[in-house]
Amino acid sequence: MSLEIESMVRYASPINPAVFPHLTMLLLGIGIFFTAWFFVYEVTSTKISRDLFKELLLSLVAALFSGFGILFLLLWVGIYV
Amino acid sequence: MMPAMAQLQFCVLFLVYVATQCTSTNVDTVSSGINIKNVDRTIDISSQLVKITSKVTLENTGKSPVKNFLLAVEGTGKAKLAFIGTKDGNNKDLRNVETDVKGNDDAKFWRVDLKESINAGSTASVVVETVYTKALQPYPTSITQQEEQLVKYLGNLYFYSPYPVSSQKTNVILNTKAVETFTKVKPFLQLDGSISYGPYSNTAAFTEKELVVHYKNNSPFLTVTRLERLIEVSHWGNIAIEETIEVEHTGAKLKGPFSRYDYQQDHHSGPASVRSYKTLLPASASDVYYRDTNGNISTSNMRVKKDSVELDLRPRYPLFGGWRSHYTLGYNVPSYEYLYYSGNEYLLKMRAVDHVFDDMQIDELITKVILPEGTTNIKANFPFAVTRLPDSLHYTYLDTKGRPVITFTKTNIVENHIQDFQLRYSFPRILMLQEPLLVVGFLYTLFLCVIIYVRLDFSIHKSEHPHKD
Repeated sequence: MSLEIESMVRYASPINPAVFPHLTMLLLGIGIFFTAWFFVYEVTSTKISRDLFKELLLSLVAALFSGFGILFLLLWVGIYV
Repeated sequence: MMPAMAQLQFCVLFLVYVATQCTSTNVDTVSSGINIKNVDRTIDISSQLVKITSKVTLENTGKSPVKNFLLAVEGTGKAKLAFIGTKDGNNKDLRNVETDVKGNDDAKFWRVDLKESINAGSTASVVVETVYTKALQPYPTSITQQEEQLVKYLGNLYFYSPYPVSSQKTNVILNTKAVETFTKVKPFLQLDGSISYGPYSNTAAFTEKELVVHYKNNSPFLTVTRLERLIEVSHWGNIAIEETIEVEHTGAKLKGPFSRYDYQQDHHSGPASVRSYKTLLPASASDVYYRDTNGNISTSNMRVKKDSVELDLRPRYPLFGGWRSHYTLGYNVPSYEYLYYSGNEYLLKMRAVDHVFDDMQIDELITKVILPEGTTNIKANFPFAVTRLPDSLHYTYLDTKGRPVITFTKTNIVENHIQDFQLRYSFPRILMLQEPLLVVGFLYTLFLCVIIYVRLDFSIHKSEHPHKD
């Protein structure tokens, strides 16, 4: 019923821990760029010029990149979540 | 195909058979067809442990082949026994099961199953290894800082066995010439650092005769009173191990004052004290930390060797008899050393307990394994009998419903217990995305709040001249 150890493969991380720093830098960099763009857009746009679709899209991209960036930052510093 | 009735009958018969087998495994009788031809016993009492290795030559004097035999431990020693192991002549491990023998309630018995049965008239050799903890009594029980530690060993001069022994020899290893007294039963011979007894011929079954050796033993008498081992598995490729260790010097108690000046000046001062010890970690260990409630303990050294990482740990103060210390030791190992998988099924194969110092004795071990969130179907397999404590949940970073924790405990542990346990579980890989998506969700909610906020108008009066772009 249960599998034998011989038929199993050693488990390594899906992402090589050596690239955690690079991934963090890249993802967080992009994330911060989009976050900045989003906030700049929010404070500069007026009631008339504001476009809800653009806001939602910008914030989604910013959240995605920042979110994964923060995860790899945690892994890089040794908080293995 | 069997008819239903016959099938049922077969099932009942099988159950009865299993039931009788189960009850009969726990009670054995001493076979009269076994005789022990020769015993070569080594009692190593040079450390804080008593390690007895006996090379036993069994002889089948009966008519039918012998498949198993019994091992016995005296009633006086059974509470102190930490480990019993049996090997055959080719150094292969033999299975032993605890059992009872009617009429001998005092002693403790094990039944050892041989790989190949001994035919009538032939012999087989077996190596029996036993380790006892706390069997050496410091005598005197308290000494001053300058004094040497003397201990007393109380044992059995003869190999304790349910079978008669034709010939036996015993060698007691002390690693010291300083022997105060010892049992003198001819023939015996005292050599440098050891005493040999025998050969004694024709001892009856269950013969006990006191063997006392009172000698100098300055080896570290250090007991780990409690060791909590925490193993945290992360599917991001890491296994974090943290051990919280409480140690106590359980040798002769320190009498009178402690002079730090004498201790620093004269290196021979405090011969029975423990200055430092070595802990061996797996070769792949990294990010090692050694600290206690005050913070990092800086008096430690780490050496990376070929097959291990050696830590030279020095407690904040030397440990004298009755003194205690408490610290935390932690490190990371990569998951590919201990974690195996096939599809969504995982197998964790790790040491239930690891090396703390040479000739260690651990009173109480608690091992906790924290598995990733969302793990199901957990099945554990232990190399020795442990008490499994109820499973619990552990909450740490980016957790929602908590990580399952498997806890087990065992008392009286020695180095021979450094063996692997196995933990099987299923974990859907897609759940690894839960953690980053949690952060993404949080950030996105934050941004949505901003989007809503900029659309709210908190001004008191309506602007009469709307902004012109």
